[in-house]
Amino acid sequence: MANKSKSTRPQNVTPEMVLKYTKPTDKFLCPLSLNKYIEFLEFRIRDMESSKVVFEVKRPSVEINWKERDLSGGDELRTIAYTFPVDFLSYKTVGTTLVFAVCPEGIQNFRMIERHYFKGKLLKSFDFTFGYCIPNSVNTWEAVYSLPELTEKQVQEMVDNPGSTLSDSFYFVDDRLIMHNKASYSYS
Amino acid sequence: MGLLTVLKKLKQKEKEIRILMLGLDNAGKTTILKRINGEDISTISPTLGFNIKTLVHNGYKLNIWDVGGQKSIRSYWRNYFEQTDGLVWVVDSADRPDRLEDCRRELHSLLLEERLAGASLLIFANKQDLSGALSYEQIEELLDLRSIQTHHWHIIGCSAVTGANLLAGMDWIVSDIASRIYMLE
Ligand SMILES: Nc1nc2c(ncn2[C@@H]2O[C@H](COP(=O)(O)OP(=O)(O)O)[C@@H](O)[C@H]2O)c(=O)[nH]1
Ligand SMILES: [Mg+2]
Repeated sequence: MANKSKSTRPQNVTPEMVLKYTKPTDKFLCPLSLNKYIEFLEFRIRDMESSKVVFEVKRPSVEINWKERDLSGGDELRTIAYTFPVDFLSYKTVGTTLVFAVCPEGIQNFRMIERHYFKGKLLKSFDFTFGYCIPNSVNTWEAVYSLPELTEKQVQEMVDNPGSTLSDSFYFVDDRLIMHNKASYSYS
Repeated sequence: MGLLTVLKKLKQKEKEIRILMLGLDNAGKTTILKRINGEDISTISPTLGFNIKTLVHNGYKLNIWDVGGQKSIRSYWRNYFEQTDGLVWVVDSADRPDRLEDCRRELHSLLLEERLAGASLLIFANKQDLSGALSYEQIEELLDLRSIQTHHWHIIGCSAVTGANLLAGMDWIVSDIASRIYMLE
């Protein structure tokens, strides 16, 4: 691609840039219409100690029409507000699973970066390179990780400040930002 | 993904290991991966792409990649070779002779891959719970494993259904990789 107006084009958001962010972005950094590549099918959370799925969302199983996908719509489509039972803050180890479908053309290099913040402070950053994705494939990724023990005070602080736990998820195809989602988390 | 708040940052220099699980379709790759992670194994459908687990094992960060093994997608395997530290080759020990011959050929052609040259090789002779299953010694023979000079290899009989020997196998490959990494340091 030509290098016209480098700084204003949203396509120029790079992984290196988002890895430096220290707080949630004010705006979405790319239009919804750029995602011609993937569709999320499922997301779930497992408490590893009991092996129980404690949270699950699934896309209704209707066939994806890649040629005529409706990519219009507002930012509410890419903003999710989760409310979890406060128990979630006591899990020692969790597994988060993402299932996604890939377009008929496949993807050469797919990468996800997710930044989690509490009260504007970075808590955790995920950076995962899926690399190549097979045309028309359905792929699953589970990340299993331990959570630190929170003090009662920290738990209370998170419960008392709904909407202060936020994340930005950035998805890159060949190092170009193609999707940006936001989420907020409350515990009650 | 990753919703829960993690206050502790991962260690900067955390070691990362990449394991690639391959084998013919129906060998039991996905069942093994789910079994060692304590997941329900009653509803597994054929893998139409990849299935990745990122987890911590013996102090290492493990990325295990299970890639579908149907003939139509085997040609995509090569896209996943880069940076592989360990190859887990899964065999259905009760498979038909012609499929076992396919299995031998696919394995030996993988071993010629330059990008897999440094990888440790674990062979899971899976489905040992079935009465018709060949022993791991017989699988070793049929797959002509003794001729392998280029890779550290190890074969172990296992069952994804009973869980027998799965962790022993994973332990072998992780330790083998780890000892090579230490030697390089
Ligand atoms: N009896 C028995 N069946 C198994 C074992 N491992 C897998 N299977 C079955 O073999 C079939 C294929 O398993 P799957 O994990 O999908 O194989 P993959 O194609 O290699 O991923 C499924 O019906 C499994 O239930 C095993 O150790 N014993
Ligand atoms: Mg499979």
